[in-house]
Amino acid sequence: MSSTDGPLALGSGGQLSSPPMGVFARPGQSKGWRSWITTVDHKRIGILYGAAALFFFLIGGIEALLIRLQLAAPNGKLLSADLYNQVYTMHGTTMIFLVVMPIGAAFMNYLLPLQIGARDVAFPRLNALSFWVFLFGGVVLNSSWLLGGGADGGWFNYAPNSGVIFSPTHGIDFWNMGLLITGIASLLGAINLITTVLNMRAPGMTLMKMPVFTWMSLVTQFLLLFAIPVLTSAQFLLMFDRLFGAKFFDVSEGADPLLWEHLFWIFGHPEVYIMILPAFGVISEIIPVFARKPIFGYPFMVFSGIAIGFMGWGVWAHHMFASGIGPISVAAFSVSTMFIAVPTGVKILNWMATMWGGKLKFSAPMLYSIGLVTMFTIGGLSGVTHAVSPADTQQTDTYYIVAHFHYVLFGGALFGFIGGWYFWWPKAFGYALSDKLGKANFWLLLLGFNLTFGPMHILGLQGMPRRTYTYRDGYGFNLWNFVSTVGAFLIAISFLVFFWNIIASRRKAKVAGLVMSGDPWDSRSLEWMLPCPTPAHNFDVIPTVSTLDEFWHRKYGEDEAGRLVRIAATADVSQKGDATDVHLPSPSYWPIVLAFGLPWVAYGLIYSLWFCVLGAVCIIGAIYGWVMEPSTEPGGDHGDHDPHPSDASGDAAASIEGAALVD
Amino acid sequence: MSGQTPKRLLRLAPALAAVVVFAASCADNAPQTTLKPKGPKAETINDLINPIFGVAAVVFVLILGGALFVALKFRARDEDDYDAFPEQVHGNFKLEIGWTILPAVILGLVGVLTVVTIFDLAQKPDPKTAIQVEVIGQQWWWEYRYDVNRDGKFDDIITANNLVIPAGQEISLHIKSRDVIHSWWAPALNGKKDAVPGRTHPLTIQADKPGEYIGQCTEFCGLSHAEMRIKVVAITDQEFTSWMTDQQKPFVNPTGEAAVRGWSAMAGQCMSCHRINGMTDPGSAENPVDAAEIYKYKSVVNQVSGAAPNLTHFMSRDMFAGGKFNLRKNTPACTKLGYDWAKTKDGIKDCLNRTDLEAWLRNSPAQKAMKAGEVPSTNSRGMPNFNLTEDQIDDLVAFLITLK
Repeated sequence: MSSTDGPLALGSGGQLSSPPMGVFARPGQSKGWRSWITTVDHKRIGILYGAAALFFFLIGGIEALLIRLQLAAPNGKLLSADLYNQVYTMHGTTMIFLVVMPIGAAFMNYLLPLQIGARDVAFPRLNALSFWVFLFGGVVLNSSWLLGGGADGGWFNYAPNSGVIFSPTHGIDFWNMGLLITGIASLLGAINLITTVLNMRAPGMTLMKMPVFTWMSLVTQFLLLFAIPVLTSAQFLLMFDRLFGAKFFDVSEGADPLLWEHLFWIFGHPEVYIMILPAFGVISEIIPVFARKPIFGYPFMVFSGIAIGFMGWGVWAHHMFASGIGPISVAAFSVSTMFIAVPTGVKILNWMATMWGGKLKFSAPMLYSIGLVTMFTIGGLSGVTHAVSPADTQQTDTYYIVAHFHYVLFGGALFGFIGGWYFWWPKAFGYALSDKLGKANFWLLLLGFNLTFGPMHILGLQGMPRRTYTYRDGYGFNLWNFVSTVGAFLIAISFLVFFWNIIASRRKAKVAGLVMSGDPWDSRSLEWMLPCPTPAHNFDVIPTVSTLDEFWHRKYGEDEAGRLVRIAATADVSQKGDATDVHLPSPSYWPIVLAFGLPWVAYGLIYSLWFCVLGAVCIIGAIYGWVMEPSTEPGGDHGDHDPHPSDASGDAAASIEGAALVD
Repeated sequence: MSGQTPKRLLRLAPALAAVVVFAASCADNAPQTTLKPKGPKAETINDLINPIFGVAAVVFVLILGGALFVALKFRARDEDDYDAFPEQVHGNFKLEIGWTILPAVILGLVGVLTVVTIFDLAQKPDPKTAIQVEVIGQQWWWEYRYDVNRDGKFDDIITANNLVIPAGQEISLHIKSRDVIHSWWAPALNGKKDAVPGRTHPLTIQADKPGEYIGQCTEFCGLSHAEMRIKVVAITDQEFTSWMTDQQKPFVNPTGEAAVRGWSAMAGQCMSCHRINGMTDPGSAENPVDAAEIYKYKSVVNQVSGAAPNLTHFMSRDMFAGGKFNLRKNTPACTKLGYDWAKTKDGIKDCLNRTDLEAWLRNSPAQKAMKAGEVPSTNSRGMPNFNLTEDQIDDLVAFLITLK
């Protein structure tokens, strides 16, 4: 292929065929564990994100069950106050940074290139780096359990309680280092995916023809790009306080602890939308498919998402209504918080309108999507009651808040993501999850979820504070805490059903030897024109896009009455998975090597600077290898010499975009 | 798909059940509830939020009922029906504008009411007449300091755990912290307000009637955050006047052998952290333990308080150890004795919670999660285990019960 075709191609062509100066050749495995640790394929990276998130979900879930067991009855003795504080801190941190965010990243990595008709992301090695950095950050965070105990200051780690005087163990250092590292991962991902969406869309796919999921992901990545640095700067201050004796949060030296609160929540509130917007995107893909109707009010869906993205920056102090910021600030943030409910409400009503008049089929993905619409609405309504700040001074830091954000993040984000798993599972793995088990999973989860978090509304209004390791008899808390604990175990069972579904469905598909059709749900967006599982090269030919829901409109046309008529057989408009003349970015060792250096820097800052030297050597070496490694695997012949491999179906123009994919 | 119908109904059941039981639960015995205001500030909040809860309930029913309705009405009857496409509607501009503006208008109204209430609640009572109390949080107890003579110094009465106020009057609280962020909350009287080190935050409370109003710290503050209790004791004006007089009475030298021995022990060790206003060293009546200073801290703001509750008139309180334990037994008969329980005949004998008090003196770190060092230092919080003998414990209790 001609290397000057695209903006990302090497300037000097393909002559780097032999490894220069002692740097390894690029790895060539396509199977086995080595192929996974060297992969730069966005789909495999997406799967890795999902698998890692599920692993951390097990840890966070066990922490949640410990919390619920401790609180099942008054005066619980399972956990000490110290251990409880660590467990609840790590539960929140894990679920937010190592579960919900990476599940979102899994969907975005896997789907964005497919939905915009690209062969990979803009910077495939950077993408791999971002996953490994995330994973090692998660490992650093959780390694605290083996090295003297987890962080004990809450996921928000308010100063000065997070200072070394009040939390002398290294738990908060691990929290700080772990999240600084995962922050790098989020930033790399944001830069990569924003570039991908803005630069690598198939010909004809204007911004307003992008699927809603792609749109919501784009907004999410912009939020990450701007929010993560705020957290990082706050964490740097904390790191310097804790490790190098700085005084940023030392009140006796004149510090104001509200600085941390502001910084944390300026990150923390956009973070909420970082978690929920991808799930909004997911169900915006699912609902039209199972309602057999296009998404209602597409431009409103897009712009409400953008509006949420912007408004999300102006509401942070609603986390601080009781913090003493004064009535004028409180009034301003109350009002801004109320109005952020408007675009969210628009989304809810548009999903309902999409279903209205449709032919609804309640397969598992659809059930979870309706689950999101309804459960998120409950969380949204309690959210409006927090915006009424005088009432929030009664509600904040009680279980009412715990109920609220679990309805938003579990009933919202996680329900959407689980629906997404059921929906895209065939696309990723080539077999469908059992719908029957999926429904059982859903109803168990819905019941367990509401039993767990519904009663927390009552507990909170009855005055039960959160982050308390115990409560007393005689406060009216006993029954609802017990119900909540029962619900938590129902949730656990529902996830066992989910894991069983994966195993059983996979076995069944293997035994039956079924070949999954590329388009099992009769869907709408570009990824469904590919075989299941998606071939490594994604598109044989990059499609030229002319409408929103391009694939749907290649299958169906609308007659004058707005009725759909089939205009082509699905197989005829689907791609065959023929990789002839496709060039893909080569795998690389260096992302994982580079990422591996970061934990050593973290441990070094905590224990001994010598580890930092080790980490630095690793990182610098990896950067050297990264820069110097050949652009393709040795001896690889990928039809490089034919820049226009196909002109079938009018898609020839697309090959230039495809050719630009050199890493 | 028709088999789905009962399940569809089930989907709402937990939520509806929660609403029903919610209503029922208000009648429950929940002494810390936010739903039963007992003072004008808390009532103002409830008057604001109750109609909003109502609006939210309507939206709840509309959206969740709407989802249920849509799901039932538009479900595909079978595969054939599913394959017969519905009309392809892409959107409706008027509807979109409608459901953008309508919620915005409703929320705008809510916003106006909210803003008015915010400024209403922020109004401070007249500083010339209202009782002024400084509320200081530290790990893991609350100190209350009264400015009785209105000289701007909160040093006239210093007490802990129980905030005693006259009913029917606005009380001006000045909320501070000596170490980390805490939050002071008595839900029946007002919303919470954070105690942030280095800052003073105002909060006004008022109890309509005499009674006890409980609460607890609501900003996570470390180990014993769950046991940092609050109790507001509202009494009549007359009682409050006499309470103030009593609290300012000087220390009275105890009599009785055990009490004097306890006094001696107290002066020797406990006074490193605790204070008893005007207490003299029993060895030399001329040499007050703390004559110069009444409970003074190293600086206005200490990273670590390193201090312990002032025990002057200790027996006028009804809980100790940051409110984790009752000092006055929690029986109806004892509760009825009120704030003055220790002064009643047989009050100490019948109502002192001697078991927990002795256990506390025996080994306090075992009684409450604290970071108590062997020797109190800047990095330790809470009372250490002094390995007292049973005799010493008896002596100390004999002394403490004289602090009425």
